Amino acid sequence: MSEIASKIKSIRWQRMMFILLMALMVAGADSCKSTGKLSKKERKAQIEQAKNQLKPIISGTSTLSYDEQKRIVGEIMDKNLNDPILNDMIIQAQQKLKTLLAEQNQAKAQKVDVARAALYDMLMNKDNKTADELEQELNAIKRQNLNDTEIDELVARVEKKIADMRSGGSSLPVKAQLENAFTTIANASKTGNLTQANATIQKTLQLFTSDDAPVLIIISREGSTVDYDKPTTIKRYLNFLMDMKASKNEIDAIMTDSNGKIKELDLINK
Amino acid sequence: MRKTLSLMILVALFAGSYRATAQDILSPQRKQAIDSLALEKVRDLSKYISIIGDKQTPWSDAQRVIERAAELFMENSEIGVSSLGKQDVNYYKVREYFDRLMQLNYDKVSIDWYKIQYVSDLVRQPDGTYVGVITVYQRFQAYDKEKGLVYEDTTKKDITVYVKRKETQIGGRLIGFWDVMLGDIRVKETSK
Repeated sequence: MSEIASKIKSIRWQRMMFILLMALMVAGADSCKSTGKLSKKERKAQIEQAKNQLKPIISGTSTLSYDEQKRIVGEIMDKNLNDPILNDMIIQAQQKLKTLLAEQNQAKAQKVDVARAALYDMLMNKDNKTADELEQELNAIKRQNLNDTEIDELVARVEKKIADMRSGGSSLPVKAQLENAFTTIANASKTGNLTQANATIQKTLQLFTSDDAPVLIIISREGSTVDYDKPTTIKRYLNFLMDMKASKNEIDAIMTDSNGKIKELDLINK
Repeated sequence: MRKTLSLMILVALFAGSYRATAQDILSPQRKQAIDSLALEKVRDLSKYISIIGDKQTPWSDAQRVIERAAELFMENSEIGVSSLGKQDVNYYKVREYFDRLMQLNYDKVSIDWYKIQYVSDLVRQPDGTYVGVITVYQRFQAYDKEKGLVYEDTTKKDITVYVKRKETQIGGRLIGFWDVMLGDIRVKETSK
């Protein structure tokens, strides 16, 4: 007994008290700090809310955008609610979002393809549309906000083409411009006004990729069989109109390059 | 074995020649198109000759037109020249004829071709070329500044025309075209 008493006495009580105090402080601080743990009731409510948020995403009935849906799923995951059913629903929602993204990308790619084709058509202006008609079509494409570098570049080129058409003093379709030029050259030559004929030739040549752009003249078309006259070039053809003092062919087709310049012209006997 | 091979070659040859024949038969519409094309080339030539002979035509324009006119002819073709005072008909190479025409020593020259028509229809030759003869009447009038009209005649001329189908690639397309080439222009008769 006296041995026990001496042992108790030998304990450094001050030290012990300090250790005890420190332990209490740590334990106290730990108990004051929020553990993030929820009460059962709160957790259950959050799980239910998360499930309700995930349901329309999984079923594909959500009216929210892809980005908003993705944010919601991310927030639910961050909560670590650790519910097996909810976890399963999160996986389903992620898969659904993955599919949705792929669909959206595909739809955008299709829209970009359609817009690209339309813009190239506009640059070539196969249908000989006026500057105003081209601008209307261009605005419809711009309204889609496709946010694609290539489309933006093509839009800029079409805008330049429209501006060029307008600054060229003529918003007439290329076909009409050519028909007018052919008639002017022939008539000017007929009346002996070779200066006007030559000036019109020079102006008309600027519509073409080069003076040597091929001109084909159809002499007969029977089903799929097309017979042509010997191919010539635009410069030669315009001079021919001046020499013959008559324009006897109609425009059958105009092929332009991506800058809207005529690279080939098909004519047909009237 | 040898018999079978011979038979196969014979069949292949027959098939080839049959296909060629089928392609070469022109419908009346296509034939008419090439008839018209050849006639049109002769009309083009008549305009070129008129421009070359016209003293008002600037030299550079005349040279350009001579180039175009010469391209209408087959190589080494000749053009006959006659006059009322001479029995003989002189024949010149195409380019020489045009050069002489441009340099005629008159103050004004008027050349008109009329009654341009086929005297012999285009007929297909074994090599696929269509050959025909087109006749024209040429009214030639020469003027002097002071004396006025100093010479005129009318010449009937025969032009041989050759039309052959050729193919060329343009912009990645295979184009089948009819190449019309003019041959010699022979003087048939000259009158006042």
